[in-house]
Amino acid sequence: MSAGDLGAAALRAALFLSLWGTGAAIYAAWRRDARVLASARVAAGFAFGLVVIAALSMMFALATHDFSILYVAENNARETPLFYSIIGLWAALEGSILLWTAILAGATAFIAFRGTLAIPRLATTALAVMFAMLTFFLLLITTPAADPFARLAVAPENGNGPNALLQNHPLMALHPPLLYLGYVLTSVPFAYAIASLILGEGGDRWLVATRRFALISWALLGVGIVAGAWWSYAVLGWGGYWAWDPVENAAIMPWLTSTAYLHSVMVEEKRSLLRSWNLALVVATFALTILGTFLTRSGVVNSVHSFSLSAIGPILLGYLVAILVLSIGLLLWRSARLRDAGPIGTPLSREAIFLFQNVLFMAATLTVLLGTLYPLVAEAISGAQLSIGGPYFDRVEIPVALALLFLMGIGPQLPWHGASRATLERQFTAPIVAAAFGALAALITGTTALPAVLTYALGAFVLATVVQEFARGVRARRTLHGEGGVAAFANLFRRSGRRYGGYVVHIGIVLVALAVATSQARTVDAERTLAPGDSLDVAGYTIRLEAIRPVSEPQRDSIVADLAISGNGASEHLRPALVQYPNSAAAVGSPGIGAGLRDDLYTILAAYDQRTFSWATIRTRVIPGVSWLWLGGAVVGIGAIIAALPAPRRRVVRMPVAEVAVSAK
Amino acid sequence: MLERIGARRVLLIAALAVAVLVGTVAATNLASSTVYYLTPTEAKDRGVNPGQAVRLGGQVKQGSLECCFMYAGDGVRFVMTDGVNDVLVIANGTIPGLLREGAGAVVEGTFIADGTFRATQVIAKHDEVYTAPKAGATPAHRTAP
Repeated sequence: MSAGDLGAAALRAALFLSLWGTGAAIYAAWRRDARVLASARVAAGFAFGLVVIAALSMMFALATHDFSILYVAENNARETPLFYSIIGLWAALEGSILLWTAILAGATAFIAFRGTLAIPRLATTALAVMFAMLTFFLLLITTPAADPFARLAVAPENGNGPNALLQNHPLMALHPPLLYLGYVLTSVPFAYAIASLILGEGGDRWLVATRRFALISWALLGVGIVAGAWWSYAVLGWGGYWAWDPVENAAIMPWLTSTAYLHSVMVEEKRSLLRSWNLALVVATFALTILGTFLTRSGVVNSVHSFSLSAIGPILLGYLVAILVLSIGLLLWRSARLRDAGPIGTPLSREAIFLFQNVLFMAATLTVLLGTLYPLVAEAISGAQLSIGGPYFDRVEIPVALALLFLMGIGPQLPWHGASRATLERQFTAPIVAAAFGALAALITGTTALPAVLTYALGAFVLATVVQEFARGVRARRTLHGEGGVAAFANLFRRSGRRYGGYVVHIGIVLVALAVATSQARTVDAERTLAPGDSLDVAGYTIRLEAIRPVSEPQRDSIVADLAISGNGASEHLRPALVQYPNSAAAVGSPGIGAGLRDDLYTILAAYDQRTFSWATIRTRVIPGVSWLWLGGAVVGIGAIIAALPAPRRRVVRMPVAEVAVSAK
Repeated sequence: MLERIGARRVLLIAALAVAVLVGTVAATNLASSTVYYLTPTEAKDRGVNPGQAVRLGGQVKQGSLECCFMYAGDGVRFVMTDGVNDVLVIANGTIPGLLREGAGAVVEGTFIADGTFRATQVIAKHDEVYTAPKAGATPAHRTAP
């Protein structure tokens, strides 16, 4: 039995189990039948195992170049290195959906075993929703529309090989799985929200049960987006990292609604407000992940990411419509039970800032959605083909982002209910001074564009509020618990991880904002045609072309320019190349990047003498601060981990009281 | 209680104002950021104004691609054709590897007064099965199976 047969059989068995699980979970939730629930649990566990077996079979088939499988023949070649063979699982549609299904099956199994113990009825209903979604995806990959194990009648001698751009950088191993994990894990809060609506609970139990899932999926989505930006920067050879491409937009939209949700959740937890709003945000986030998949995979939008058109588009659209109809219907049906527990506070209370923040995140999401879908609507109405350029998104989203940065500094500093004048003075004196210094720093370093100066000022403002919070937290612990400085600092994370992890996330976001502002405002370009031995000066760097030479590898042929870099304390070699894969009509530019904390030197081999290698056109960009973008992404991830870690059991000392006193006095 | 309701109303109005403001900015910028996607024939029929950003799709005419050294700093130049009409395209700062004679191409840029097209970018595609429009046809800016 070949790996392909094993995988196909495993998926069919998993489909059977998933169908059983759906029915069993519904019955168990309805009749509160523990034995049927146990059978659903077993089904979830085995279904997960089987889908993992299918995914591993596909990896095995890719690694062993089994070209009798259509997917392998299309996305693998004998020359493909093992690493790129294995990650070929997510190089194209069918494999990606297989990976997606495996993650979904894992989440389903997790809820089946862990969730149903704590809150049996709610979790059992959520389990039924998860099973229903898993069944949909298993149906999808066992029908011809997206069957990863579809066979070829005659196996070809060699396969087509993966898409050139997808086998050119190891980041491809990281970016898609992170995004898929983020996408799929949003289905857990969604399932609980739907379960809560079906049962008509009206309370916050669904939200508490899925808080950690929401945070983790949000973080994975965010880190996945940054990894994608990094991949785009390191592979596509255009010296940028974000182009407002429809697929980038499709990834950022659920992240925006999810960020809004993580904040408005706190309002519901503390003040029991915004109940139906939070349910709507969870539904919106999940629906946007499906919309993103639909946009990516159906070929309806003109995007650098639009992969081949397939029958899966209409199916996903149907799924999206079904989800929206079900969710909105349930929300309307249960709206009477979702009353808020009281009015919101004054405009200068924390919940009011969260409300504004939510309005802005919604505005950002809707305007991105408008720009992304407008070409589709315009074509449907007038038949004209058009696209919405980057300027639209820049002009709309940059002001919104700056306003959000401002609120990020204000929100955590204000107490719930409302703030007094004395509180405002105590909380904001130092940050306002810091903001002035931030603006000054921007001007001194020659960053004069208004959005960039504002970003520096607001970034400094937010950083100052965070430092102030940490300093006060440490001081409070030292006074109350007699801890040393370091121990107090560490205990802030251990005892109030959610709050202080959140501040770390804010630091990461500020780093990202500063990196974007700096790199957008102060990038320097230069281009020259050089003979070997000639050099080019740009922004203090001297780039000398040493040689230009062809390099042959089994899976590709490249033309490499050897560049010696000096100046600005640098002494290194960069090797930008033009890479030709046998399955690709055009050569792929592979930039040579000298990364640094101050700036990146980005070099591209633009053209060369094809006969005698006597000259090469080298394009260079000096991009300041861009490394801080990736670092900021990592800081966001670390902050999210701190916030997601379970707090140790409380000691007898009534810590929470002390903390409230610090933040709200 | 009265004060509470007042505060709430202030909040609501402020939130609405933000929404309206963002909506207005979006609506006014949408039109000016629209980039039409045309073939050389459509561009001729519509009479695209010089300076207006458009995307031009077609094929690189056989024997027309001149590249590199001569036009260093100017990138490449070639004739874009849809089988009916031709446009001379000068692509600044382009990786010539993206272009092949006889193969499809999509460029974004503007027409200058003499009818030459100044491309600011050659649009790269992830997808190898991406197809340029056939002769005389409207460009398929979707990927085909």
